[in-house]
Amino acid sequence: MKIFDLRKQMGDFSLQIDRMELESGVVHGLVGANGSGKSTLSKLIMGILKPDAGRIDYEGLTPRDITMTSQKPYLLHDTVYQNLIYPLKLRGIRPEEAEVDRWLARCGLEGKKSQYARSLSSGEQQKLSFIRALIFRPSFIIVDETLSNLDPDSTELFEEMIREQQRSRPVTWLIISHQLIHIRRVCGQVHFMEKGRQIAQGSPEEILLRPEHPAIRRFLASTEVFYREREETGEAGMQAD
Amino acid sequence: MEGFSQFFSEFFGTIGVVDSIRVTVIMSFWSTLIASALGIFLGLLLERKQFPGKRAVVRVNRTLMGAPPVVIGLLAYMLLRKKGPLGDLRWVFTIQGMVFAQVLIITPIICGMVYSYAVRTAPAIRAFAKTMGASRRQTNRLLLREMRQELYFAVVSGYGRSISEVGAVFLVGGNIKNNTRTMTTAISTLKGAGDYYEGIFLGVVLMLMAFVVQTLADRFRREEAGDENL
Repeated sequence: MKIFDLRKQMGDFSLQIDRMELESGVVHGLVGANGSGKSTLSKLIMGILKPDAGRIDYEGLTPRDITMTSQKPYLLHDTVYQNLIYPLKLRGIRPEEAEVDRWLARCGLEGKKSQYARSLSSGEQQKLSFIRALIFRPSFIIVDETLSNLDPDSTELFEEMIREQQRSRPVTWLIISHQLIHIRRVCGQVHFMEKGRQIAQGSPEEILLRPEHPAIRRFLASTEVFYREREETGEAGMQAD
Repeated sequence: MEGFSQFFSEFFGTIGVVDSIRVTVIMSFWSTLIASALGIFLGLLLERKQFPGKRAVVRVNRTLMGAPPVVIGLLAYMLLRKKGPLGDLRWVFTIQGMVFAQVLIITPIICGMVYSYAVRTAPAIRAFAKTMGASRRQTNRLLLREMRQELYFAVVSGYGRSISEVGAVFLVGGNIKNNTRTMTTAISTLKGAGDYYEGIFLGVVLMLMAFVVQTLADRFRREEAGDENL
């Protein structure tokens, strides 16, 4: 997917992406401070927002191939099961019960198939939303802060599911997260945004361990978790400004 | 026992209780059905479309939600009377005319309620539909499905207004015994005649009708939430 001269004005905030490339089959991490435009960009890619100018070359992908999960996922006023099979129903695909059960079991929701989805805990709701995004085999998955505020076991589970997915059928991921440890573990490419612009793009090591841009250094300095992890692993890095 | 049944036959016959119940059921059913279809459609359309003067339209609708039914009834009567623009329909003093007046009263109520719900919930539903790859038709179906509880309450509110209304149906229907007399206009007539107990009886029947609909609404809500404590 390629983005050219994308512009979006929302009140005082202005998104300006001159050029961004999201190589297919790669797990991309989108990092930046709050208000840097990460979610706006993901909504523009998803088609939820319309750009003021510029274009996105989807390279053959249709809206049916792209999906998105968010930190506060929308769940249907229905059971866990009905929520999970909803994208399949939209595509006229008859759900295979064994596969549905396998997805639910993977997330520890097997006993909650008939439960009202909105009565699940927030962590369980995020898990349900995550497997709902995977079940219909999309080609491009946007994960907007879904992994934030999850317990370590759940984060690990999600990471493992992303790796499994990439081993079996590589798809393009765009993961928005403040958990830099997680970004480093699963992403092949990292894009750093500040004030509505992409200011750097590279491998996780280049962006998170050897950042050249002062804005990234400032951001990393403020991300305590990152530094804690860096100390644990004993990795050298740039000093914050 | 004989005196008891005589009392009831006189009571039902004199005031036309059975017919007033029949007229009320027919009128409230059709007016709620038509106003619901119009109100839901207009409410969702109003939320979806952006146009100059939209705020004014919303404000006018909110004003109409609280408009005195007797004023709307007078307007309906003037439209439907022989010399009025809709005089050819010959709906004055008919159930159709009463339904027409009721639709004018109830539609803004349902439209306003649906609009308020839709403003809060529809954008999230539409965004979700987009993330699932839903077509426009599937998105519209999802909107109705996801808002069904709110839509149902809007319809129940419209129905409640329909069965309880007096002024407009009095003006347009004429309160003709066995023809256009509703339960509410019958109560008004009974009160005029000093027959308070009979009026209370009809009032209890009206309350029972409202209770049945509300019970159905509660049952629906409980199933929706999956919560027995509701």
